Amino acid sequence: MTPNMFFLLASILFSIGLVGLVSRKNLFILYMSIELMLSSVSLILATLSKVLGDASGSVMALLMIGVIASEAAVFLAMIVHLYRENRTIDSDTFHALSEGENNA
Amino acid sequence: MLEISIFSILALFMIGGSIAMISNRQTVFSAFGFLVAMIGLAGIFALLNSQFLAVAQIMVSVGAVVVLSMLTILTVNANGKNMPHEPNKNKWIIFTSILVAPFTILLYKALATLPDHFSTMETINSKVIGKELFSEWVLPFEILSILLLSAMVSAIVIARKSKNKERGRS
Repeated sequence: MTPNMFFLLASILFSIGLVGLVSRKNLFILYMSIELMLSSVSLILATLSKVLGDASGSVMALLMIGVIASEAAVFLAMIVHLYRENRTIDSDTFHALSEGENNA
Repeated sequence: MLEISIFSILALFMIGGSIAMISNRQTVFSAFGFLVAMIGLAGIFALLNSQFLAVAQIMVSVGAVVVLSMLTILTVNANGKNMPHEPNKNKWIIFTSILVAPFTILLYKALATLPDHFSTMETINSKVIGKELFSEWVLPFEILSILLLSAMVSAIVIARKSKNKERGRS
C-alpha cells in the first residue's frame, strides 16, 4: 500500500466530479459533484498527513469537513429558493446574468 | 496484502458510487451513489490510520450532509417537466471524460512526485488532533465556527418564503 494509490484514487474522484459538474444540468447533481471534488481534496490532505508524519494535514481535512457542511447548507437553501421561484431544477434556466443589456 | 485488497474494494465502491452519481437520471439514485462514495471515503480514512477523521466523516458527511440533501431532494420532489431535459446525457458524459482525462493524468503525475512511502508514525488519534487543533490551528477553528454560524443564518434567510415579492423585485 503506497501513497500513489491514494493519489490516483483522489485524482480519479476529482475528475469524476469535474465531469459531473460540466456535463449535467440537474442542480442537485452539480451540488453533489462539488461535494465530491472537495472530498477528494480532503483525501489528498489526509494522505499527505500520513506521508509527512505530521498531524496538520488531518486537522486541515477536519476543518474542510466543516467547510463542506456549511457549503451544503447554503447550496441546498439556494436550490430550494430557486425551485420555489422558477419551478424547475434545470441549471440552464438561470441565465439572466449571461444576457447582459438585453433583459435590463 | 490484506490492506491492498481492502483498499481496492473501497476504491471500487467509491468510483462506482460516483459514476452512478453523475450518470443516473433519477436524482434520488444519484444521492444513493453519493452516499456510497462518502462511506467509502470514511473507510479509506480509517485505512490511513486516522480514526478520528473517519468518525467525523461518518458523522458529518454521511449523517448530516447526505441525509440533508436526500431530504431536500424529496421535499423539492421535481418530476417530469420540472426536471432538466437531457436527451444526450451519456454522450456528453463520455465526451467530457475524454476532455478531462489528460487533466487527471497531469494531477496524478504532479502528486506522484511526492515521496512514495508512508513514514512510520503512530495512528493519528483524537489526542494528537486535539492538541494540534487547539495549539496551532485555533484561529482557523474559530473562523470555521463563525463560518458555520453565518451559513446557518444565511440558509434560513435564503430559504425563507418571501412575503412581498413586489418590494423585493423593484
